[in-house]
Amino acid sequence: MEQALQVIFSASFIASVLRVATPLILPALGGLISELGGVSNIALEGMMLAAACTGVLVSVYTKSAWAGMLAGVAVAMLLATLLAFFHLNLRADLILAAIALNILCSGATTFVVYLVTQSLTGSGDKGGTSTLISQQMPFIEIPIIKDIPVIGTIFSGQNILTYAALILTALVALFLFRTRIGIHLRAVGENPDAARSVGINVQGMRYLALILSGFFAGLGGVFLSMGYVKFFARDMTAGRGFIALAAVYLGAKNPWGTLIAALAFGAADALSIQLGNLKIPTQIVQMIPYIATIIALVLYAVVQRQRAINRQRKFRQAV
Amino acid sequence: MAEPLIEMRNITKIYSNGVRADNDVTFEVRPGEIHALVGENGAGKSTLMKILYGMEKPTSGEIMLRGKPVTINTPHEAIALGIGMVHQNFMLVPSFTIAENIVLGSEPLQSGLVNSRKAVEATNALGKQYGLAVDPTAVVDSVPVGMRQRVEILKALYRGAEVLILDEPTAVLTPQETIELFAAIRQLVKAGKTVVFISHKLREVKEISDRVSVMRDAKMVGTVDTADTDEERIARMMVGREVFMNIRKPPTQRGDVMLKVRNLEYATEAGVEALRRVSFNVYANEILGIAGVEGNGQTELVELIAGLRKPQAGTIELANHTIAGHTPREVRQAGCAHIPEDRLTNGVALTSSISENLIVDRYTQEPFTRGGFMNPVAIRDNGDRLIEQYGIRTPDGTLPVGSLSGGNMQKVVVARELSSQPKLLIAAQPTRGVDIGASEFMHEQLIRARNDGVAILLISADLGEVLSLSDRLAVMKDGRITAIFSDVNALTEEEVGLYMLGIKQQTEVEIEQNL
Amino acid sequence: MSAAQITFDRSAERARVAAERRRLATIDLVITLATILLALLIGFLVMLVVGKDPVKAYQALLTGPLSRTLRTGRWLEDATTLIILGLSVSIAFRARQFSLGAESQMYVGAMVGAVIAIYVPMPPVIAVILPLICAMVAGFLIGLIPGLMKAYLNANEIVATLMINAVVFRLYDYFLTYVFTAPGAQQIRSEAVQPNAVLARIGDIFKFNFGRVNTGVIFVVIGVILVWILLTRTPFGYEVRTIGANEKFARYGGINTKRTIALSFAIGGAIAAMGGVHLLLGVHNRLIPGMAAGLAFEGIVVALLARNNPLLVPITGLFYSYLRVGGDIMEQEAQVGAEIVQVIQAVIILLITAQVLIDLVKARRARQTSQ
Repeated sequence: MEQALQVIFSASFIASVLRVATPLILPALGGLISELGGVSNIALEGMMLAAACTGVLVSVYTKSAWAGMLAGVAVAMLLATLLAFFHLNLRADLILAAIALNILCSGATTFVVYLVTQSLTGSGDKGGTSTLISQQMPFIEIPIIKDIPVIGTIFSGQNILTYAALILTALVALFLFRTRIGIHLRAVGENPDAARSVGINVQGMRYLALILSGFFAGLGGVFLSMGYVKFFARDMTAGRGFIALAAVYLGAKNPWGTLIAALAFGAADALSIQLGNLKIPTQIVQMIPYIATIIALVLYAVVQRQRAINRQRKFRQAV
Repeated sequence: MAEPLIEMRNITKIYSNGVRADNDVTFEVRPGEIHALVGENGAGKSTLMKILYGMEKPTSGEIMLRGKPVTINTPHEAIALGIGMVHQNFMLVPSFTIAENIVLGSEPLQSGLVNSRKAVEATNALGKQYGLAVDPTAVVDSVPVGMRQRVEILKALYRGAEVLILDEPTAVLTPQETIELFAAIRQLVKAGKTVVFISHKLREVKEISDRVSVMRDAKMVGTVDTADTDEERIARMMVGREVFMNIRKPPTQRGDVMLKVRNLEYATEAGVEALRRVSFNVYANEILGIAGVEGNGQTELVELIAGLRKPQAGTIELANHTIAGHTPREVRQAGCAHIPEDRLTNGVALTSSISENLIVDRYTQEPFTRGGFMNPVAIRDNGDRLIEQYGIRTPDGTLPVGSLSGGNMQKVVVARELSSQPKLLIAAQPTRGVDIGASEFMHEQLIRARNDGVAILLISADLGEVLSLSDRLAVMKDGRITAIFSDVNALTEEEVGLYMLGIKQQTEVEIEQNL
Repeated sequence: MSAAQITFDRSAERARVAAERRRLATIDLVITLATILLALLIGFLVMLVVGKDPVKAYQALLTGPLSRTLRTGRWLEDATTLIILGLSVSIAFRARQFSLGAESQMYVGAMVGAVIAIYVPMPPVIAVILPLICAMVAGFLIGLIPGLMKAYLNANEIVATLMINAVVFRLYDYFLTYVFTAPGAQQIRSEAVQPNAVLARIGDIFKFNFGRVNTGVIFVVIGVILVWILLTRTPFGYEVRTIGANEKFARYGGINTKRTIALSFAIGGAIAAMGGVHLLLGVHNRLIPGMAAGLAFEGIVVALLARNNPLLVPITGLFYSYLRVGGDIMEQEAQVGAEIVQVIQAVIILLITAQVLIDLVKARRARQTSQ
């Protein structure tokens, strides 16, 4: 137990939380934008996977991590556009079309990885790209900060995409609440008729919400295969796209709340990795954030109901 | 004569399903006038205005603005041309503040970001200029309906509207709010704006408008100066025949108390007071009408009785069984039938078959369910019988209700509710959104049920309707019963109107005597 | 007009309505088939582009599952699970509830079934029925959780079911690793279920190599009939369908909408648990890691293709697993990754859910017939 506490309160643990949470924060921001735009994107998972795969393969060929990242994000955005087209133009059910995309990405990435490994190494590998030499996004030592004890350990030396995730959270908050387009996007999500009546392009905003969610999912996917580790593995997203969606709900559909929720998920994950070394069953620790989300969903509803009852009761007392 | 500001010439609109909503309609508006556009539901007036506002494209015809032809493809283009519209169901974003809603779509910017302080200032300035008071920082969700409507008008003015189209603006207002709205409209016109006022409340049309255009069956019947006409003549233009508001109603002896409501109290989940100490009886063999402007607690009252909401205090007894706080099914089994206010959204399931719609209140009973299993033959026979009996026009009861016309969907609701042989029938706004033919059908059915011994609670915002149908009449205002009259024949519309507006009210003793 | 004539008109009208219905059903079928063909064509082109031999691959994909009895067995075994899952999902979907919880319900069913089937000695038949019933009760209860959350608390059911899946999967993993697996065992897996509890392999009965197809196919037959009766012939089914059509109307009419919604999740859970028992007693005869991974989404696709109609679920389930198994054979014989099948599946779903395409075809057909 003491050992466990030591682990939790160490600076390197907090640093690992940031690292583990990055591939949750990024897609969660995307999920948040799509939720607020009224077009829930449950294909974050597939988009992440496609980006993770594309990023690695492009970096193998170009030897450039940045080119890989751009290509990965572009593919995720392209998939988001495809989803938007099927839903918005061809009126396909958003959830079912998203499920189709997830299946597509899982299959297509494995298929492509096999072809590429076969052509480059002579023997095809379905499991991933560990036989290839791919690039990684840079890790950044921040001058001055890196020399401060504890804080330096936590905040310096992270991957550039980890910093990006934190900065992007602020930018997303600014975008959603202080820019015209962001406000229009939220208006469309909440009352499309109202938005349409003042000349807002409803269809355009929904496209934007989905494509932006693709962008963030893409960044998250790229981080997984080009930051968190340095290869692509089959189905390596392992449900992170869905957890990101849960973080949006746990965070009350607010950018900062979503960030905190994603960090909490990351903390539980990081903890389970650490405790696994101490021979404590990882499954139990990993369960915690999911149970927390379920409890949060329940509590939120109960609190809402209680508030309504209180309001009604206040009226009774006034009578 | 002033040159027209807007001319819509030979407008025809045919929807893709073949419905001809507007047929060669010509309509003109002069600058600075209040122009009422009236007609029954489905006469084509809303479609015409949607075309003007760029929400629908006309199949043929042209629009001239200040003598120049224009094409208006989107609301955005309409706004740019100075045309604003206030819709019947408000186009507001509930979680945004009033200021945010008013500037939505053209927010003031400061170095690229939206400046909310400027939005608040602009809202205040506009409100002051036109006498439309709003609280700019309040969240729309938490403000009353009247204020939301003012927000809608300010929204249009903020966008530089010169012409304001108001789509049935008084339908949701209290009388006080209506008075305020009319004052605001007059002020707008004084400030040089032009107003198109869609309505079918002829009294209001007479009061507020300078000219009236009447539509019927997708055609423009004509435009007259309001001063040269009266309500009856407008009504005749609307329906193309004399309106018989005299309903033959044989005298009956009222029976036992069927519904007994005492001291009912209710606040909505938002904590807004809806009902206060509501008490009344409804007897067998009588129609108790509840008159009142919509939004004075009638909807909540109906839903409380029907079991769709639970009261905070008070009792409701139906044929001596207490039903307050019981489920809709228990209330129905106690003998309550309910023709709901929004029949097409709450009264039918469009994709379910007609026969299945006709058993929603009784599917667990014999013969529809026997030994735990449903009996398709019984369901079909019941459907065929009611289709025949109530004259629902359809080739087959297995077709979805959505395949019926609006009037026939209404009949499905009436057929189901009346065939349940209720002790109490609640009819909420039974003829709203219904054409004259369907209204007559509805009235006949209500009177027949009353003659057969059913206790009927009739809620209607249409004063003519409640006065001619009811045996007794109660008036609701601000969630209270402010008067109950035992003899409707002695009442005039004007008299009841004073109670509806809250200018007069009975004492508690008087109400007690007439419960 | 005489009464007789009215009756005559009515029956003529009815005949017209029936003809119209047949026409629409035919169009639906044609569209579905065309969609499948188009998806296969896209797969064909992909293979051509990446330099594979598409003809050989498709020969393997489309004839493979029937080429040997063992392969046919694999197909039918997989189809059994998918059909049960499709049935499970179709119930909540009929009430317009997006329950993605089938995976957790399968795991719970398999675990509860395993406790009894491994450790409690029982006579034949009972040894199958008792674990089945207990598993279904457990599936019912685990399905009830998101059902109650949605119905009474209005919690988002997609998030709720995904979270429960995540929790249950880890619980399963935990119990399998630390409880079911004997200490010191080579592999993480439970002991085998008792011989009496095993669903007999059909190949063993008739003495031929039919893979792991087992008497669990009876579950499918029973399941289809039960779900069909439930949805079309019971008050509960009426409630589910009415809620799916218009929830406000259902409540107004006296239906206890909350109870029905919660139950629609729970009953789906019981049926999904049946699928878990099929995997346990029929296919693997023990618990193995990741037994039901990813199957929940496959069940959704099967239900979707069948338009949530329980009578069509077996057909779409057979079709879908034909592709799955055919894909594996294609990989063996034509060296084309089985994943191409996933691509084909995704294209099928996308095209079938694209309402506009269907409307276009229907409008075109209507125009042609009217000319």
